[in-house]
Amino acid sequence: MGRLFSLIWNEVAKIYIQKSTWIMYIFIILLIAGVAALSFFSDVNNNEYGDDWKAELEAENEALTEEMQESEFAGDFNTQQIEKNDYHIENDIKPAEYDAWQFVFENSMLSSFISLLTIIVAGGIVANEFKWGTIKQLLIRPISRSTILLSKYISVLIFALATLAFVLVLSWIAGAMLFGVQGLNPEMVLRKGGELQASTVVEEIISSYGFKLVNLFMMTTFAFMISAIFRNSALAIGTAVFLMMAGTSIVSFFADRVWVKYILFANTDLTVYTSGMGPVRDEMTMGFSIVVLVVYWVILMAASWLAFTKRDVAGN
Amino acid sequence: MSETAMELKQLKKKIGSKEIIKGLDFEIQKGEVFGFIGPNGAGKTTTIRMMVGLMGITEGEVVIQGQSVKSNFKKAIQEVGAIVENPEMYPFMTGMQNLKHFARMTPGITRERIDEVVGLVGMENAIKTKVGRYSLGMRQRLGIAQALLHKPSILILDEPTNGLDPAGIRHIRKYIRRLASEENVAVIISSHLLTEIELMCDRIGIIKNGEMIGFESVNEQDADDDGSRQIAIEAEPSDKAAELLKERHGIDVEMKEGFVAFEASKTFVPQIVTTLVNEEVLVYRVEVSKASVEDKFFDMIGENVIG
Repeated sequence: MGRLFSLIWNEVAKIYIQKSTWIMYIFIILLIAGVAALSFFSDVNNNEYGDDWKAELEAENEALTEEMQESEFAGDFNTQQIEKNDYHIENDIKPAEYDAWQFVFENSMLSSFISLLTIIVAGGIVANEFKWGTIKQLLIRPISRSTILLSKYISVLIFALATLAFVLVLSWIAGAMLFGVQGLNPEMVLRKGGELQASTVVEEIISSYGFKLVNLFMMTTFAFMISAIFRNSALAIGTAVFLMMAGTSIVSFFADRVWVKYILFANTDLTVYTSGMGPVRDEMTMGFSIVVLVVYWVILMAASWLAFTKRDVAGN
Repeated sequence: MSETAMELKQLKKKIGSKEIIKGLDFEIQKGEVFGFIGPNGAGKTTTIRMMVGLMGITEGEVVIQGQSVKSNFKKAIQEVGAIVENPEMYPFMTGMQNLKHFARMTPGITRERIDEVVGLVGMENAIKTKVGRYSLGMRQRLGIAQALLHKPSILILDEPTNGLDPAGIRHIRKYIRRLASEENVAVIISSHLLTEIELMCDRIGIIKNGEMIGFESVNEQDADDDGSRQIAIEAEPSDKAAELLKERHGIDVEMKEGFVAFEASKTFVPQIVTTLVNEEVLVYRVEVSKASVEDKFFDMIGENVIG
């Protein structure tokens, strides 16, 4: 165990010593700053409510109803907004003002950027040792190849979590600076599967980032496998990023076939089961998707392990 | 007399149906510096890679200090320090960061040991510089430092003097000799620089097409006075000298750049000179040189196969 810890220490140190990692973090900072500035200057959803917020909401509803009578186009949006306002009034939940928490929640799409960075790290972590020739130095130590591979995989996951934490903290700080903080964990009302529901913002942040981590985790493992088999980081990063972007198109292209449900990308977005959007094929369930994901993970890891532990290291 | 540090038993490597290493069988003793030479593609690197477990062994065994690399890799490799081919290190880390990185991979290496090893290879001044800015010679030294961290009983060095300046070569050579004689380390050096190997090694093994085709003991060769020598005589008229040698002593000679050249024992030289002088051949110069490893090497492998 002690040895594994030292190995992970080594691997994480190698990730963070490299300049390219810091450049990636600078990109994260710029991206969050950009998104924050954008939402600061285009504040659409920044209604503030006073103590008499119930009356204010009712007035808003009346205005929306009038607008609907005047224009046919406003229909859907306005009906939904009225329903939501009614829900606030009925359940006595004061609409939270837009603040740091909301900002963090709205920008959960930043998680795909975390996926991208983690794929870059995963794609390089084995392949680069071959590129640098240092793989020989790693493998002639009294440590099994399996342990070395495991330490590298764990280090990639640590990088992913550290980067996630960095993104969350940084976007909260950016949100707090621009929009302030309304309480520790404000309540919010969301539409899930056609139904309105009340929950807290922290809960929502965890679930929206959490579901997106599934995709990150699978694509990272995929890049790691390509890295271990082909010993080429460009190939690993390229194929993983391509599949991450093309995955949903591939699935929708084959949506009418029965076997589409066994494709990895038909199963990586588990929110389809909670949001009411529905999976690609009606017979699929959350349990089915989880089994498919586990099977894929086992195959990817087994392939990485076989390639890394059984093959000769020759020619570099 | 001495203990075996490493033993190769009928070591074979097949890639596909092609047999690259065809059954190597030899031992390396503790305290011995063993030179491993052969032309490119003879199987030096493949053999070394099998010794350290980078390549799988098809058949046979490598036994290090009684432990088989095949079945007991961790125990066996703990005794080995090595540079395989080039001394590659992480270019974005300093020399010290590299050493610490590798030190963490083997139990029991202290901070003092790291400093000691840095001193041994004379890298104190450059150890805080990034390896990316090192010259090949500096990387070579760092590679040796890395290989010595855990006080191995076998040191395997591939082309250790590659890229070193003459002073550096001398330094490394002295250091390797000292490791062998004082610390009883078995050192295996692979090289194609024959003269280098001659100066450093006790024994030389020559490999060709995956087979050991000969072993030479360097020290024995020095002691051996009766061994055959390369003799070259500058004489006039040279054709008469050649004739006399053939008639009186039954020696076939070659004419090389105006010299009469042949192989004979050193003890034979006075008689030959007497014959020539008595027959009024003018003798300007007699050169006696022992056959170098280089000559033997070429004899054994045939010059044309090089490259």
